[in-house]
Amino acid sequence: MPAHTTTVDDHDIVRRVIAGDINAFGFLVQKYQGHILTVVCNHIPYSQAEEVGHDVFVKAYQSLLTFKFKGGFKQWLSAIAVRTCYDFWRKEYRSREIPMSSCSEEDRVCLERVMASQSNQITSEKNLQKEAGELLGRALDRLSPEDRMALEMVYLEGLSSKEAAGLLGWSVANVKIRLFRSRKKLRKILAGFLED
Amino acid sequence: MRFNKKNYVKLENTLIKAYREKEKPKVSEQWEMNVMQHIRSLGALPFKTSPFELFEQFGWRFAPAVCVLIALLTFWMVKLDFVPEDEMARLSIEQPIEASYVEMPGL
Repeated sequence: MPAHTTTVDDHDIVRRVIAGDINAFGFLVQKYQGHILTVVCNHIPYSQAEEVGHDVFVKAYQSLLTFKFKGGFKQWLSAIAVRTCYDFWRKEYRSREIPMSSCSEEDRVCLERVMASQSNQITSEKNLQKEAGELLGRALDRLSPEDRMALEMVYLEGLSSKEAAGLLGWSVANVKIRLFRSRKKLRKILAGFLED
Repeated sequence: MRFNKKNYVKLENTLIKAYREKEKPKVSEQWEMNVMQHIRSLGALPFKTSPFELFEQFGWRFAPAVCVLIALLTFWMVKLDFVPEDEMARLSIEQPIEASYVEMPGL
């Protein structure tokens, strides 16, 4: 029952915004800012999350007329957030200057530290998490935006292929294929860190 | 260091854990104000209701009633034994002289 009430409330607010009450959109920003910034932070570096989150709400406002009052507003807004993150990586990928194949000494050392700390628990849990996060970030940077999004959403976040497909606007088969390929690529990239 | 399957599974689990325990964002009031300022600067949405949009919104609400009406009319026509072509053919055979094209549409 509360979920239904929330949906109805959101729909009412959307109708008010469409009718010209711009300030009513502030209720939606206030209500979903935490959720949207969490979604954005899952995909985008922390330093750029606020900017991308800002873009998500602006895009949502601009496309509010396309909102069908059938589903939930939160789901619709989440899809905009995920697609904005995907666009962010597509732009980054185009303007990237570092060759994709280059693996630095830093990557190798980082991977060795993470693997060593798994076996001997000398490093604190917090340090291990930090190093593993940095290592994963470097590996993900070497994937294409499509592979990156599929891998992050299904493999790392734990969403189902259907959920990821709905948010990205892709077919389930496409998500599954991307996921299979990206997992193989990730393994290859991590192995490459050790070999170089 | 070897990079075997066992090591890799462990590494994968560590990476997934690290990903899920990322730093959560703290939302500032200033950020919210900036978003709303930007949205206000865009102005009100150009709300237009075209007949097609109105049909999309309200037309489908009458679909069940229309279906029931079609079913009732079909039943009524079957019950009346109304078959236009057969009726016309029968009339023209029974009274070939009086039957005309003007008569057919009921004029």
